[in-house]
Amino acid sequence: MSLIQSSMGRKLIMGVCGGVWALFVFGHMAGNMLILVGAEAYNKYAHAIVTNKPLLYGTEVALLSTLVFHVIFGVVLTLKNKSAREQKYAMTPNGEKRTSLASRTMIYHGTIILFFIVYHLITFKYGKETFVTYDGVQMRDLHSLVVEVFQQPAYVMGYVVCLMLLGWHLSHGVSSLFQTMGLNHPKHTPCIKMLGKVYAVVVTLGFISQPLYVIMTSF
Amino acid sequence: MSEIHKTMTIHLKIWRQKSPNDQGHFIEHTAKNVSEHMSFLELMDVVNQELILKGDDAIEFDHDCREGICGTCSMVINGNPHGPEKATTTCQLHMRKFKDGDHITVEPFRAKAFPVVKDLKVDRTAFDKIITSGGYVSVNTGSAQDANNIPIGKHTADLAFEVAACIGCGACVAACVNGSAALFTSAKVSHMALLPQGQAEREQRVLNMVRTMESLGFGNCSNTGACELSCPKEIPLESIARMNREFYCAEVKERPEKEIGGF
Amino acid sequence: MSVVLDAKIPEGPIEKKWDSHKFHMKLVNPANRRKHNIIVVGTGLAGAAAAASMGEMGYKVKAFCIQDSPRRAHSIAAQGGINAAKNYQNDGDSVYRLFYDTVKGGDFRAREANVYRLAQLSTEIIDQCVAQGVPFAREYGGLLDNRSFGGAQVSRTFYARGQTGQQLLLGAYSALMRQADKKTVEVLPRREMLDLVIVDGRARGIIVRNLITGEIETHAADAVVLATGGYGNVFYLSTNAMNSNATAAWRCYKRGAYFANPCFTQIHPTCIPVSGDYQSKLTLMSESLRNDGRVWVPKEKGDKRAPSQIPENERDYYLERIYPSFGNLVPRDVASRQAKFRVDEGRGVGTTGIAVYLDFKDAIQRLGKEAISEKYGNLFQMYAKIAGEDPYQVPMRIYPAVHYTMGGLWVDYNLQSTIPGLFVAGEANFSDHGANRLGASALMQGLADGYFIVPYSIGNYIGSEGSQIKPIDSNDGIFVSEKKNVSEGLDKLMKINGKRTVDDFHKELGQQVWENVGMSRSASGLKKVIGDIKSIKAEFWKDVKITGPKDYTNQELEKAGRVADFFELAELMAKDALTREESCGGHFREEHQTPENEAKRDDSNFCHVAAWEYKGAEEPIRHKEELKFDHVKLTSRSYK
Repeated sequence: MSLIQSSMGRKLIMGVCGGVWALFVFGHMAGNMLILVGAEAYNKYAHAIVTNKPLLYGTEVALLSTLVFHVIFGVVLTLKNKSAREQKYAMTPNGEKRTSLASRTMIYHGTIILFFIVYHLITFKYGKETFVTYDGVQMRDLHSLVVEVFQQPAYVMGYVVCLMLLGWHLSHGVSSLFQTMGLNHPKHTPCIKMLGKVYAVVVTLGFISQPLYVIMTSF
Repeated sequence: MSEIHKTMTIHLKIWRQKSPNDQGHFIEHTAKNVSEHMSFLELMDVVNQELILKGDDAIEFDHDCREGICGTCSMVINGNPHGPEKATTTCQLHMRKFKDGDHITVEPFRAKAFPVVKDLKVDRTAFDKIITSGGYVSVNTGSAQDANNIPIGKHTADLAFEVAACIGCGACVAACVNGSAALFTSAKVSHMALLPQGQAEREQRVLNMVRTMESLGFGNCSNTGACELSCPKEIPLESIARMNREFYCAEVKERPEKEIGGF
Repeated sequence: MSVVLDAKIPEGPIEKKWDSHKFHMKLVNPANRRKHNIIVVGTGLAGAAAAASMGEMGYKVKAFCIQDSPRRAHSIAAQGGINAAKNYQNDGDSVYRLFYDTVKGGDFRAREANVYRLAQLSTEIIDQCVAQGVPFAREYGGLLDNRSFGGAQVSRTFYARGQTGQQLLLGAYSALMRQADKKTVEVLPRREMLDLVIVDGRARGIIVRNLITGEIETHAADAVVLATGGYGNVFYLSTNAMNSNATAAWRCYKRGAYFANPCFTQIHPTCIPVSGDYQSKLTLMSESLRNDGRVWVPKEKGDKRAPSQIPENERDYYLERIYPSFGNLVPRDVASRQAKFRVDEGRGVGTTGIAVYLDFKDAIQRLGKEAISEKYGNLFQMYAKIAGEDPYQVPMRIYPAVHYTMGGLWVDYNLQSTIPGLFVAGEANFSDHGANRLGASALMQGLADGYFIVPYSIGNYIGSEGSQIKPIDSNDGIFVSEKKNVSEGLDKLMKINGKRTVDDFHKELGQQVWENVGMSRSASGLKKVIGDIKSIKAEFWKDVKITGPKDYTNQELEKAGRVADFFELAELMAKDALTREESCGGHFREEHQTPENEAKRDDSNFCHVAAWEYKGAEEPIRHKEELKFDHVKLTSRSYK
């Protein structure tokens, strides 16, 4: 119990929960790449997920709870961190002593991403339901919804911005999780840091490629 | 003498604050004929001489050894604790790192745990409190065994030295966006955890030191790495990771205190 | 009347003195120790070690320091290492050899019994520090590494890169903070001792100024330990920290503690030279540099060519020329003096002409840049940072600077001053280094005094004289009046409101002391400087300007009080140098030298410690403690 009472324990929990989400977004991105294959593959994949109730509910519970912990501890820690410096500096570290902007602004892109997640769920999970039938099985035609949404340029622009923010969040978050867990070694850390950035780029590009594909193929 | 030092004019903006409760403000001061061989603190000395002769209070700032080892000098220079040069304390920063006509903003280390005493002088006793809570090996004078009875491999000794080199200046706290003392605390935790002498108290030490650190108003580490970049002794971020794992392990293993002699 | 001082050296053969003395010391019952308050002033190696050790024993200790944390005391700046007669390298070292080297190195002006005890304790110090977790350098097998230092013929120096002092101090500091955690020691940082309180002839407390609030505080105790370091800052420019000062020791002197050998100061030959009049302090570079660097100046006076333009045959490698067998490795005082002679001849180098070259060109050619960087990388880096020149390309410019003061308050074998109940440890006392300190011995002495000697002496003092130490209250009687005096003294300074800053006066004083009571001293110069110091001092009390508050933090006020004391100390140094009609160790009188400019000691008239007694407005009285050398035969040093 006391781990949760200490800032360091809370940070660990926040980090691990973020890690769960980092894994999830990769899987989510990879699965959705089926949109490049076609409507049938995409819809069948979605159908397979929603019909596997234990998997679905298990994932939903895991994601919701980790998100709650990630957000709550993120906010609690940030408030404590902000209170540790009551008077601001006129200037902040720069030149060789400057740190990455991403690492200093996690709470801000994190907040935007949270709102994005809610909006995203409303748009797709709880969005318009139409149905198609493949091989005699009726299922939700998510593909047509996605294509419809992704044909709105304003939406896509917002979507791309949010995904880039997610990537930015991950670019610090993924490798930072290793540091938080106590895994730092001069032999491995440079590699972990690089892989963290690669991971963020892959996730972001993967997601962004989907609306771009939709837009380009719809003309 | 035949040779002429390169001299320059420096425009300073310096923080002045009468007491912890005073609001504080910047004053502007132009220093002329600044030699490139001056240290930054010598520039401050010259400014102070001018202020005193004008009847103003001298600017209070902490300084002592002026050779980069005591950890007394502080100051945030143009946003950087100890100035722009890496692996350097303010007292070892020389004016040749600046250009003629430069504007330099000088502020105190700012953190809730380091309240300003006056001007650029802050109170860093919070660090002493962290050490008091466990930054030592409990050995009494006179009870030690022969020094060579404790062999320590060269690599381990070098690693321990690397973190033991912390001068306790507080630049890590000043640089950290969260005002966190993680690097300072982890340097001592690491030093003791790496050496055989520190093993007996290893778990209790990290628990006590981290809990004390958290109670003193420091923020939490968010792995920005600013501390490592600003550290004049280049204590590595790796030590914070080490402190993290030391802390989690000790926290998980810690047993509830038994009521001794209780009902 | 001058008296002959009794050092209370225990009877018996030298190797048994300390053990038998320890046995005969009175003890204090563990349950009673917590009833006794001890004040320790200063938290460097000696102070922190003493306070921690006494806290462990169970005394109630108050530890004071002027810094914002005990960890910042100037012991932290010692680079080279700490000597100990461990003989881990099997090269023939022993307690006796360390003792012998120290007495001889001190040019026969130290007390044999003290030095022997120091050598004995040296081995325990290393054990203690390693047990605390001090990360000394190790060999691959895991055992402790040693190096030879300061021309010693055995490798007995333990080190932690170039930061030995730091690591040892942090060890002592951690022991101190452990006792703070246990509440046996109360640590009171940012307090400056401004007076010693004497009750019934015994040291019973101190008056301090809280350097944050400006409040004058009174603290009472059963005994006072002074570990406030040396007085090198009397020279203004020295390798001491900016805040190092003599005030605490000086105020004790004015309360009746004798001041011994004030003229014994050590000049370190390899420091980075002064670059301009804004210079605030000097930085030392380890003398190990002389192992590979060659010292030279141009043969021609006033040769202003760049060093690379000066051909070999126009260079004077003067140390190699004058001392063919020791060459560049002659002792500190000899190397320093020779550099001064070259500069006085007008052959100094650099923009100011007050420096000599230390050239690594040959070493780099012989060993390669990598090997040199391996050995001296951090020193070269430090030099480049400060001087702005790359020593791999251009020879270093070096010049001697004041580094250590062997003189200090006179103490007996128990480290007790002439005031009962006032004990003095570390550089603040005069005890073990004679007229010249050997490299890597200062750390050893500070820790020996602090960990192993003072705690025993305090026990003996309280155990044998405890009944005469009556309970007192720091809010009563003499404390109140002394507090008022101290406060009025500060008012007096604040009220002058003249036209010159404290630093301005300090610089002027320092210049005079450096010129006349520095590396080379003459009767005429000393007589003149005594008058000059008096007149600068009079000027100071008429014309100094201190701004800022008295009742809150104010560094100018702190400095002013210290400089006021430096004037008086400087005068005593000059008097001591004038009366010591011989040359020995760091004290070089121009009248007393061999035809080859070597120091000429006078053992028949000056084989004694000079201890000065304060007499108020009258001249101080010079007392003697005769020195006997039963073990190390009096010989003169030769490095030809």
